[in-house]
Amino acid sequence: MNYILGTIDSMGRFVTSNLEYTLRVLLMVYLSIRATINDHAQGVRQIFSVIAAQVYFTGFQALPLVSVLALCTGSVLILQGMGNLTLLGGGDMIGSFLIVVLSREAAPLLTALVVIARSGTAVASEIGNMRANREIEALESMGINPLSFIVFPRVIGGVISVLCLSFYFNVVALIGGFFVTKFLHGMPFSFYSESLLRAFSKEDVYEFFLKNSFSGMIIFVICCYQGLSVKKSPHEVPQVTTQAVVKCVIYVTVFNLTVTALFYLNQLRQLGVL
Amino acid sequence: MAIRENIKSIKSLRFEGLTFNHEGSDPTLKNVDFEFPSEKVIWLKSAEGAGKSTVLQLLAGLLMPSSGSYLINDDKVGDMTFEEFLTYRLAIGYTFDYGGLINNRSIQDNLLLPLHYHELIPPKDAKARVDQYIKRFELEKFKHERPAHVPGRVRKLTCLLRALVIQPQMLLMDDPSVGLGAETSHLFSEVINEQQDSGTLKHILLSTYDENFMSLFNYDIIHIDGGNLYFQEEENTKKVANL
Repeated sequence: MNYILGTIDSMGRFVTSNLEYTLRVLLMVYLSIRATINDHAQGVRQIFSVIAAQVYFTGFQALPLVSVLALCTGSVLILQGMGNLTLLGGGDMIGSFLIVVLSREAAPLLTALVVIARSGTAVASEIGNMRANREIEALESMGINPLSFIVFPRVIGGVISVLCLSFYFNVVALIGGFFVTKFLHGMPFSFYSESLLRAFSKEDVYEFFLKNSFSGMIIFVICCYQGLSVKKSPHEVPQVTTQAVVKCVIYVTVFNLTVTALFYLNQLRQLGVL
Repeated sequence: MAIRENIKSIKSLRFEGLTFNHEGSDPTLKNVDFEFPSEKVIWLKSAEGAGKSTVLQLLAGLLMPSSGSYLINDDKVGDMTFEEFLTYRLAIGYTFDYGGLINNRSIQDNLLLPLHYHELIPPKDAKARVDQYIKRFELEKFKHERPAHVPGRVRKLTCLLRALVIQPQMLLMDDPSVGLGAETSHLFSEVINEQQDSGTLKHILLSTYDENFMSLFNYDIIHIDGGNLYFQEEENTKKVANL
């Protein structure tokens, strides 16, 4: 009996601590939007310069890594898809297979993981070091709200970067992947492109924007929050950075799973199963 | 309306039943009722770790009391939003005992930041004012360098000057002379005295263990002991370390 109660207690603690964390992060989002609206000193130019820098570091500088990842992922999926679908007599389903597996699932998730690894860690450690070096306090002492000066532009820049990177990932994986593997299969490009276009629907556009924009927001909001949670000492910076990565991975994958499940249920509803 | 037109005049500073404790620690200040004297240089003295920096951070609005109130001109700071407090904040210059410079900006940009961000004066005048300080303190060589690439003395000096370039009404300084050297300390005190004489700088509160630096000012002493604040003349037996 005690074991059961103990398990329920620990589950309860786990749920409440995660709920509390989520609420705190959402509160920071609200406060940073509010601070940006109320901050009359911070001009559009100031915000835009930070957003542009964030897009450069997160989006542009990640292009080589995303290119390699997208080419390899696209090539693997095209080869596996072609081989197995042809065996099953469904070679013309290659477009549907790639849209479902690559565009809807792999691209948002892999892009998010790349951004977490490259930029999420950078943002968390940058803000953590700013905290330890009392730069955040210094901004406050000068009447500059760190939420509008640091958090808001980074989150917006992050969302734009993830959207652009994911679009780029899709293009490179679907088009580049085809040409990389062309010498291994005899599929004509016209057949391949028609199959892709047939499989592509407006739900894919919704899912693309929903998954990527929210993944970008989750990553940068969590990383900013973790960075700001440093109290005083530089030794906390690597700790909060690690926590930021762990939390980002969990939140992003759970969010992607939830969106996929909702779209799947919607499909079932449209087919009349539900 | 530009914020510079809304900056309020600081007339009084008061703690009412103020208690403050850092997370997980015993209270640094306990139920303090205290009215700070206006238009004076106040030297905060105490044993190490007794709360001098905490008092300065509370006065700057960088820390909020655990209970009780901190009032400027009878306005409760704890009840104000960031934007509401800005009208006082821009009249307060605060200098850090360590750190506090923005690391991805040059020394010159650090000095220009508060002036440019709030457009306190036109950009041309802001640059002229900052250049004047840079020249006076012979920082030309370092002005385009970032804080990590300059000597500690220059970092400390930049932090002090950044508080002065806004020409505050109240200056709060935490260990201002550490690492400055005698000559720079003297020059810095001259700038403070000039701002006082011109009438822009009215209230100065600082904590330091440097009696030579304090000899450059006419000051009153406030002791912090046992979580409370005392005027020197009332409680001249309060123990203060390292003095």
